[in-house]
Amino acid sequence: MVEISQPVTQSHAPQKRKVASEGLFAWLLVGPAMLFIAIIVAWPLAETIRLSFMEAGLGGEEYIGLANYADLADSRKFQQTIVRTFYWMFLSVSLKLILGLIGAVLLNAAVPGRGLFRVLVMPPWVIPIAIGCIGWLWLYNGYFGVLSGAAQAIGLTDGPTEFLAHKTSAFYSAIVTDVWVGTPMVTLFFLAAMQGVSRDLYEAAWVDGAGRWYRFRRITIPQIMPVIVSMALLSAIWTFNSFEIIWILTEGGPRSATTTLIVDTYKVAIGNYKFGEGAARAVIIVILLAIFSLFYLFFLNKVNKHYGVK
Amino acid sequence: MATLDLQNISKSFGAAQVLHDISLAIDDREFVVFVGPSGCGKSTLLRIIAGLEEASDGQIVIGGQDVSAAHPVDRGISMVFQSYALYPHLSVFENIAFPLRVQKLPEPELKEKVGKAAEILQLTDKLNLKPGQLSGGQRQRVAIGRSIVRDPKVFLFDEPLSNLDAALRGDMRVELSQLHRDLNATMVYVTHDQIEAMTMADRIVVLNGGRVEQFGTPMELYHHPATKFVASFIGQPNMNLIPAVVKGTAEGLTVELDGGHVMTLPVETGAVHVGDKVEVGIRPEDVTLGADGLDISIRVLERLGGASITYGTIGAGTRFCASLPGNAPIREGENMALTIDPAACHVFDAKGDVLRRQSAPALVA
Repeated sequence: MVEISQPVTQSHAPQKRKVASEGLFAWLLVGPAMLFIAIIVAWPLAETIRLSFMEAGLGGEEYIGLANYADLADSRKFQQTIVRTFYWMFLSVSLKLILGLIGAVLLNAAVPGRGLFRVLVMPPWVIPIAIGCIGWLWLYNGYFGVLSGAAQAIGLTDGPTEFLAHKTSAFYSAIVTDVWVGTPMVTLFFLAAMQGVSRDLYEAAWVDGAGRWYRFRRITIPQIMPVIVSMALLSAIWTFNSFEIIWILTEGGPRSATTTLIVDTYKVAIGNYKFGEGAARAVIIVILLAIFSLFYLFFLNKVNKHYGVK
Repeated sequence: MATLDLQNISKSFGAAQVLHDISLAIDDREFVVFVGPSGCGKSTLLRIIAGLEEASDGQIVIGGQDVSAAHPVDRGISMVFQSYALYPHLSVFENIAFPLRVQKLPEPELKEKVGKAAEILQLTDKLNLKPGQLSGGQRQRVAIGRSIVRDPKVFLFDEPLSNLDAALRGDMRVELSQLHRDLNATMVYVTHDQIEAMTMADRIVVLNGGRVEQFGTPMELYHHPATKFVASFIGQPNMNLIPAVVKGTAEGLTVELDGGHVMTLPVETGAVHVGDKVEVGIRPEDVTLGADGLDISIRVLERLGGASITYGTIGAGTRFCASLPGNAPIREGENMALTIDPAACHVFDAKGDVLRRQSAPALVA
């Protein structure tokens, strides 16, 4: 027995050492990234969750349990903010997807100067958001803005129209700017996906007598569906979190007409120094986005399976 | 089914002319293969027939009707693509049914047609699967199924087997030949593989540089190649082409091959004169081991069991390949003498055109 077991032990020992050293090496490789994530994501998240159970301000902290959450549940204003946020997100994302799809189809068409148009679609996305928004502030200005001036020139309005001063127009103006900023990227993703569709599929359908609309409906859309789903859900998350555009244009006003969850959280936590209440709002945002992310992964997986994407 | 006539077809892409005045008459229910090297224009010609490319000049007549300006769907053709062009998001059933859905065929008729095609192609149990779940051969069959349901006058195949491995390609060749017999259809098939061309075609069109080198049956092309290009393209291993000098033109053509071997070949001498340079074409399978004859030093020997393929050189280094019996008593590094039957030789003039042979093996159908 000894004679047999000894060689076996000896032959396994170097292999075990090798496995152990490979494991250590793997941890060394992922270690810095994990430490980095812990510092910039995990710790702030844990701290936010802790803070959401506190009444915290500049003067100090006091544990109040779920009181912040209970207040939010009872707050009609907060409920309106949630509804407004989802409406903002739904409208903006829908427009981005529709315009992005139309833009991609046009840019994918074999027309002269296509390359130039592809470059021209980029600026809204490339220009820093703050600078773009300042441009829009001028466009929306009642006295100096092009839009108000054009409305007066063609007789639509009698006097200056301050687009950002009225509740309804401010909300939709902010959406237009958000769509302006977000559409180019959606367009480029759709364009890239369309260019990845095999030309043979279109030619085969063309030989079979399928018209332009039929080919778009039965080939293009299904072929780029995984990208559409990806962009819809990612765009929804980005639009949900969109802060700079609203803040620069309206700071959430007038009378909270453009206050979304993220703006509300900022106003409460940073503007009013109510860190505990702000943290509770932030936690709710994290939960909503986590649900979104799970939905995204689940839905994307299903779409990929359905459309034969590996 | 229908005849297909190509009349003076030319095609240019900008300044580059890729097809030069091509005229072909393809009979009803014929299986014609366009073969040639990459860039010879065979796929372009097929795409012009399909209507995917417009000819710069010339007419396409299918079943007696000029379809040169017609939409692909109105030409009565269907096409199988090299990449299969299957819709990955649709089931096998929906892929095959696609042309019928475009035509808005009533559901019962559609199901019957798809079912029939699936039965012919042995895909009945695969109808609910997606293309990604099929093997290469099965995908190819789905693509063919999509062609069949349209009941076209002419089937067009664009290198349909080139994505398959060698074994599967062999099986599919047999299946396609069988399919041609079953459907009794006019088929035009593009390939760069001369074995596919030889095994499947009723007639072969050999294209080179956008021009038709020769249009004939496989055996015509093998035994009576019109040009040096056809001679070297058709046949496996390739025909040996040996530089030679004309020594006499009385009673056939007397030539001195590279290496000094002198032969009199039974060909019509035409415009060739004594002292002219020609090339003598000898197929590897047309030589036998002999006591004297062409002297070859064997560089590489491939024993395939049934045959021994030997690669060597003659004269001033001209390469020569011989296909000998599997048990031929030869070894690498040795020299051997090969007997050549003069009647089996082909002679090409300086332009590459063949000198007509006075006698040649009888052609088989």
